[in-house]
Amino acid sequence: MRPGDLFRRTAFRLALGVTLFVLTSLVLAGAIGYSLLRSQLVARQDARVTEIFRALQETAQSGDQTDLVEAVTTRIAASPGRSTVYLLRGADGKVLAGNIPDIWFKPGWSSVEAASLKVPADYPYRVYTGTANGNAIVVGLTDADLDDLAEISIGAFGWSALAVLIAAIGAGALIAARVQWRITEVEETLHSVAQGNLAARLAVSRRGNDLDQIALAINHTLTRLESLVEAVRQVSADIAHDLRTPLNRLRIHIEQAAESAQPPASAHLAAALAQSEAIDQTFSALLRIAQIEAGTARAKFSRLDLSGLMRGLAEVYAEVAEDAGMTLVCDAASPAMVTGDTQLLTQAFANLIENALRHCPPGTTITCAVTITDRMAEASIRDTGPGIPEAERDKVLRRLYRLEKSRTAEGSGLGLALVKAVAEVHDAQLALDDACPGLRVSLLFALSDHPI
Amino acid sequence: MRLLLIEDDAAVSTYIARGLFEAGHVCDVLADGSDGMFQATRESYDVLVVDRMLPGLDGLSLVRALRAAGGRAPVLFLTALGGIDDRVAGLEAGADDYLTKPFAFAELLARVNALARRPPVQDVQTVLRVADLELDMMRRQARRGGQAIDLLPKEFTLLEVLMRNAGRVVTRTMLLERVWDFHFDPKTSVVETHISRLRAKIDKPFDVALLHTVKNAGYMLHAPR
Repeated sequence: MRPGDLFRRTAFRLALGVTLFVLTSLVLAGAIGYSLLRSQLVARQDARVTEIFRALQETAQSGDQTDLVEAVTTRIAASPGRSTVYLLRGADGKVLAGNIPDIWFKPGWSSVEAASLKVPADYPYRVYTGTANGNAIVVGLTDADLDDLAEISIGAFGWSALAVLIAAIGAGALIAARVQWRITEVEETLHSVAQGNLAARLAVSRRGNDLDQIALAINHTLTRLESLVEAVRQVSADIAHDLRTPLNRLRIHIEQAAESAQPPASAHLAAALAQSEAIDQTFSALLRIAQIEAGTARAKFSRLDLSGLMRGLAEVYAEVAEDAGMTLVCDAASPAMVTGDTQLLTQAFANLIENALRHCPPGTTITCAVTITDRMAEASIRDTGPGIPEAERDKVLRRLYRLEKSRTAEGSGLGLALVKAVAEVHDAQLALDDACPGLRVSLLFALSDHPI
Repeated sequence: MRLLLIEDDAAVSTYIARGLFEAGHVCDVLADGSDGMFQATRESYDVLVVDRMLPGLDGLSLVRALRAAGGRAPVLFLTALGGIDDRVAGLEAGADDYLTKPFAFAELLARVNALARRPPVQDVQTVLRVADLELDMMRRQARRGGQAIDLLPKEFTLLEVLMRNAGRVVTRTMLLERVWDFHFDPKTSVVETHISRLRAKIDKPFDVALLHTVKNAGYMLHAPR
């Protein structure tokens, strides 16, 4: 599997999606938690500031100004780091006490930078300004705790997010791998079935999950397919037996009768024998095509050299062509390894060569060639004969179809149908083209060195 | 020679038995697979002719059981199936040859004869001889009357098959199977063409012809009588 394929795999995309979802949820939950905590802390800080202010206000109302100044001074002394700041201004506007410069604040709540209070700290202050007995009291509290909280919570959130992310990716990868393993198993099993191994089945675990349900359904379908193919095989075997047995007897009767026959009866018997042979040939060819189409031959496919096979056939037919006044040449020098059945391919190419021999006039050149192009091997038989009209080319591949002009010639009209069946069982692309003049029949195979 | 025919179709078995008798053979006939198996192990036969589909015990199982029991008689399978895999299945079970119904009696006779006189495997002949025609298997060389004959590889194989069956008819189908590994019936004169080419090399330049055509049967290579 190429890395690019990873993104096309459902399981991987699912795992990735779940991880992203978990991460987003975590960020959202963290943000909500943080803001809740923060508002809580702000409220508590404000409560503390309010508490101090109220205490000072009480002092101002119950005692005189000296008591107030003393109370503020005492509190200033208790906060040497100036984490709490105070400013007491009399009714005349003069600063009576304080640990910050004389700054005017708007009444009520305000947030002030430490720098503007001349305090050497990084954190802003939460400040409340109010009046008591004509005095202005300013109480401020540093935000340091709040800031520390932000740091701690972001840190905690970061680490937990990392842990969750790793867990999610791990779990996602594990689930994806398991799902992928089963999907691959389904792919491989179905491929094996397509190659003719009808007995292949998927493993079903005892968990009974949705994938098991699918596996069960596929297995059920495969069982049905296998029994159908077996039924077809059985029926064709039965037909073969039930038709060949009387044909055999017919032949025996004709042969026996011919032993003692005198002309003209002997000539009729010879003709009858030839006809019974023709019936048998047509029947055998139909049966053979049906068997090839059933695809069971795929299970026995092996690697073979298409060029070698073609050269062998050219050797067989070169002299037959010569005797018919034709020329047969072979152009298949470089090896072309494909996966297939030698016998079926031999018969298919022999049919094509014989078609050319039977339907072309003397002087015709027949060229058998195997060429290799871009991971493919093309086997072709080309003649310089009359060719097949374009409108007829699809029809000649049909069973028992014959061109009008060759209807009188010997032959069953099954030669090309067999070639088509052999091409299909090999996943080869069959094409009939105009060779200008003549016919060119080609079969395009995938080279077995480079399975596609 | 002595043959055992196991075939359940009476019309076929009667005809074959009569034909074999006329050709000078003795033939026992049985219609049931189990009876056939019993008879084949009890008596000694030169060739067994066994139908694929039989009552009692089918032909495939019969041949398998016979081979397992150590029976070595050559077996010719008769079958009405004739599918692509059936021939291979028959040969794998232990049959020596395979004939699809309907067949010409001449074809059956030729195959039975070819099976019966097969030389034992241990006795490997390196030079085949028919009259003054010699075929050196080691050097892959043919000579007639001491004169070397140039043969193409397939012509050599064709001559070898004919010489190994010298004095017996070799049918067109047998040649197609054994020389070219063709298990189908070509619509053109493949066999006739190659026989005539071979004849031009081994017979034409010499006075006496060795390769003869047997009408309605096949070809036969034999020394002048």
